[in-house]
Amino acid sequence: MVAKKEMLTGNSSAAWGVRLAEIDYIPAYPITPQTEIIETLAKWISDGVMDTRMVTMDSEHSMITAAGAASATGVRAFTATSSQGLLYGFEMLYTVAGWRVPLVMVNVSRGLSAPITLEPDHNDILSARDSGFLQIHCETCQEVLDSILIAYRLAEDERVLLPVLVNMDGFHLSFTREPVEIPDIEDVRRFLPTYNPKHAFFKASQPMAQGIAVLGGPIYSYFKYQMHLACMKGLEVYKEISKEFEKVFHRSYDTVEKYMTDDADYILIMTNSFSTLGKAAVKRARERGIKIGLLKLRLLRPFPEEDLKNAIKGCKAVAVLDQNIGVGKGGILYPEIASTIYNEQKRPVLLSFIGGLGGKNISESEFDFIFDNMIKAAETGKAPAPQLLYTETEWNEMEKLKKMAGKPIFW
Amino acid sequence: MLRIRFHGRGGQGTKIASRLVGTAAFLDGLYAQDFPLYGAERRGAPITAFTRISREPILERGVISEPDILIIMDETLLDDPMAMPLTGLKEDGVIFLNTTHSPAEAKNRYKIKAQIITLDITKIGIDTLGKPILSTLAGGVASKIAGIREDSLKKAIEKELSEIITDSELIKKNIEASLYCFNIIKPVEVKTSEITHKGSTVISVPFEAASISTPSVNTAGNIPLRKTGNWRTFKPIFNYELCNKCMICVARCPDGCIAVRNERGFPSIDYDNCKGCLICIDECPVHAIEKVREVHTW
Repeated sequence: MVAKKEMLTGNSSAAWGVRLAEIDYIPAYPITPQTEIIETLAKWISDGVMDTRMVTMDSEHSMITAAGAASATGVRAFTATSSQGLLYGFEMLYTVAGWRVPLVMVNVSRGLSAPITLEPDHNDILSARDSGFLQIHCETCQEVLDSILIAYRLAEDERVLLPVLVNMDGFHLSFTREPVEIPDIEDVRRFLPTYNPKHAFFKASQPMAQGIAVLGGPIYSYFKYQMHLACMKGLEVYKEISKEFEKVFHRSYDTVEKYMTDDADYILIMTNSFSTLGKAAVKRARERGIKIGLLKLRLLRPFPEEDLKNAIKGCKAVAVLDQNIGVGKGGILYPEIASTIYNEQKRPVLLSFIGGLGGKNISESEFDFIFDNMIKAAETGKAPAPQLLYTETEWNEMEKLKKMAGKPIFW
Repeated sequence: MLRIRFHGRGGQGTKIASRLVGTAAFLDGLYAQDFPLYGAERRGAPITAFTRISREPILERGVISEPDILIIMDETLLDDPMAMPLTGLKEDGVIFLNTTHSPAEAKNRYKIKAQIITLDITKIGIDTLGKPILSTLAGGVASKIAGIREDSLKKAIEKELSEIITDSELIKKNIEASLYCFNIIKPVEVKTSEITHKGSTVISVPFEAASISTPSVNTAGNIPLRKTGNWRTFKPIFNYELCNKCMICVARCPDGCIAVRNERGFPSIDYDNCKGCLICIDECPVHAIEKVREVHTW
């Protein structure tokens, strides 16, 4: 069998990644827009093309517990969720990471309630940024499939042994079909051999207690800091793995993706599927003679500080487009990037934008607004106040809705 | 790039239609992307789906607000303020409308300037498939307008349907019906043009008091104002000569549309809201209800 190309949704790409990784165990719980992953896998298991045990659970909390516990017995486990589901199982994210087990989990991003919605932004996945899960964020369906294979290699590497979350946007990727190359299983086996657990497994002759309680700060500090060191080690390991991936599959995935950044005076930083819209905007601006590029962050945990610094070296202004909102502070990635470059001798002006919340479209005029602001900021050396991307038309539409809802109310 | 937007009702096959065009274009060697939009989806509710086809890699995602080709699979959507399928169509775009009327009549009725093609694909669906399911028919029409090869369309149907249908006879019927639609539509030239709507000015969103800025609705419920009668393809009609007033239909109607409203004690149907699910016909023990195809036009 050779690699074949097919039209796949982000969800079916994820399912293909899981099928090719030859997973042993999948605990599942449904939630839009993730359910299609589990449905696809369930169909394959029922058709007999996958030799995997699937169990439907009573909640995401149980589901993540079961997946982590299975990983602790030394089998390869997978699970997926989204938004409210991720939050419902949140306690177990920290717990499973603390067990140092190589679980891979997909999150399909969806805005958080309330108000309840279905379309994507990244408050769900970024809420898990400090949990100890490594995070890979995807722009295309191909990236989803490939990232799952990379994620298992990364999680199972003895220098890391931490779980990994692979993220894709709901609707804009999860339900969108585009051509995806499905790798040959033999190539996948070469890249991702059977997991051979060294530290956490289930063997009657070798009893062990995992996930033990510790009392006393020094012990706790030791374990927590070791998690941090292992996660940071993940940067180097990721680079090794992505090089190997490229050798086998001829597709390359660095920690960050540089789009027209080489000679750029201005760089826009984005993540996930809306980066495609950013690239189109950058291309249009280039045609108008603006020296701009786009930097897409793929690896969010561990945070690729050096690669980021190198990519923006020498440019005049950088804009961070956060598709999330830290209520009471602003964009979540902006301060992460600010702290990365703060101690540099020469650093660009750093601008903050928040856009695409709840899947709101980011139009050409909004990208142009960012670019104009970057040029102005580079000239004056001053960054404008953080800005929400929201247009006059959208505001007028919102005014109409408020009227329909009977607002304002006075008493 | 060709941007195609499909409008239909849940259950008609809107999503599959968009997929067929996506797969057919992909098999034609083009770049393709397709994507349905639905939230609280259900049978009968307005559904939208999108297909992009291009010779270059596609640097777009999400909804198509300015389509080159509009495929309107249900004519009643044209009068639905929630669907508004004509929104954003380019002046040199092409509309396909599933209707019993001629292009000239439809143009006049709906004040459409763009080029319009009409065909009663609901009738074709009922005649050839026995059901008003339009996925492969609309897919055939859209493929022709988009300039896709017949062979690619055929392969796309085989591929997409074999994943959801096990009945090979039904797949064959779908291919025949789809190719019939493909071939009956005359080739058209679709002039693709760039997106003209660039979005409006970015504004600063001001602070507003919680009495305004909380997600709550202060007006009275308006669900009764939203009529669902135009969701029907078939209308259930009582024959009171057979009806024995057993009231099973009253109990079984999922939308509470059947009640006794006349002095003679016979049940009758609220056609403003009956969605045409036809459960009443299945449930009626004396076969006193028949179905009649309904064409919701002028």
